[in-house]
Amino acid sequence: MPDQGWPADQELLRRHVAGDAEAFGELFRRHRDRLWAVALRTLCDPEEAADALQDAMVSAFRRAGDFRGESAVTTWLHRIVVNASLDRLRRRAARPALSAGDEQAFEALVAQDGDPARTSDTRLDVNAALRLLPPQQRAALVVVDMLGFSVADAAVILDTSPGTVKSRCARARARLLPHLAHLQGNRSDSQSVSPAQGGDT
Amino acid sequence: MTHLDTDVLAEFRAGLITGRRGARITAHLAGCDRCTALDDQLAGVSVLLASVPAPAMPDSVARRLDTVLAAEVTRRDNAERARGDGTAESPAPRRPGGNRGFRLLTLRVLAPAAAVVVLAAGGYGLSRLVGPEGQVTASSSAGSAARAAAGSAASPGHPYAPAAGPAKGAVSRPQRITPRPMVVVTGNANLSRAGLAQQVEAALRAPALGTRQAPSRLRGCVLRLADGHPLQRVESVRFEGRSATLVVARTGADDTAWIAAQDCSAANPHVLAVTSLTSGISGP
Repeated sequence: MPDQGWPADQELLRRHVAGDAEAFGELFRRHRDRLWAVALRTLCDPEEAADALQDAMVSAFRRAGDFRGESAVTTWLHRIVVNASLDRLRRRAARPALSAGDEQAFEALVAQDGDPARTSDTRLDVNAALRLLPPQQRAALVVVDMLGFSVADAAVILDTSPGTVKSRCARARARLLPHLAHLQGNRSDSQSVSPAQGGDT
Repeated sequence: MTHLDTDVLAEFRAGLITGRRGARITAHLAGCDRCTALDDQLAGVSVLLASVPAPAMPDSVARRLDTVLAAEVTRRDNAERARGDGTAESPAPRRPGGNRGFRLLTLRVLAPAAAVVVLAAGGYGLSRLVGPEGQVTASSSAGSAARAAAGSAASPGHPYAPAAGPAKGAVSRPQRITPRPMVVVTGNANLSRAGLAQQVEAALRAPALGTRQAPSRLRGCVLRLADGHPLQRVESVRFEGRSATLVVARTGADDTAWIAAQDCSAANPHVLAVTSLTSGISGP
């Protein structure tokens, strides 16, 4: 992005800490769709996702001075959003995994997509299948497989070890397979992926 | 070797099974169509998940986050200003709880007891509206109660003294208050470099044309220039024929006036000229 004349994420964060009133907004808007995606897919509830994202945004705004540059700014932002999302899941842990309310929330989730052409059956089934996973496995799979973070970055985002990220992803993929196998016949690019790719992508 | 379990195969694919056990799985896959098909299907899960487009954030959520962010910016500005006023004669009372800036701001604007509350919100902006005799020279959103309070708060001897804060000290002794939303006074001064200090002092005595809220970029610029010193005035002017902003802050015994360029911001404190107002505009 800097090569296009835009300030880098870290520069925007530095400006925000220095008092620039607009820098954080620009930074957050730059990443907000992906941050929204991770919150929505982790929580499977648009209302909860909006609340979690708001909590995370305020937290990041106030704690920006704590950022030490040990990871990319986007990794740091995702970590805060995942933490806020998992906190919300922990608070509602007593609720059943697939209550009628959740089903309604899921319908709302699908209906909220502004582009009907993108609301494919594949997405519907993927979103429904994700709900079957335990939250920690779901978060790991969303971050690694759906958002494309490396296992190392995912470990930072999820505040755990790379081995645990791999383990959660592996168990999640195995669990999802019976629910998603029927969709793979519709794809032309579902060729085999090497073990290294499968573990480290 | 029996066929591979899905969990085992998934762990193998993730690189969690290596060594002799991993070698056995590799060898088995080379000769077992069934397990190879299962392996392909597991690979397909990741491919399928990666192919699902990210949902765009709904407009309603985006608007909500923008509102919350604006409130956070205001909260931070207020906190910084409160810290900056630590050296002022009469620092503003600390607000209990640091997490309700936006709601409190809204409540302040809407509060019926506007006289004091709105003065706190208008601060130096309102003081600019009061002439030497305490007459209101321009209207503002503060309302008649606030104008009356401003009239009583202004000291005739110090026409540009900031309006008094809480009612306790309003009549007998003008006190400096902490301005909340940053108010920009609209003026028609056309300043030039030569004799700038005298021109600024004259401009500050001229009637104001109105007020407006400072946009966030200008707010960042002003706070950067004032650097924690109590603000006395922010006024839109022309300088050497171009649009600019006059910023005045009490910097020790004197006031300092900056002429900020239009592109001035917190990150880019672009100043066209600066001068010291030795007579002091804000009174003792």
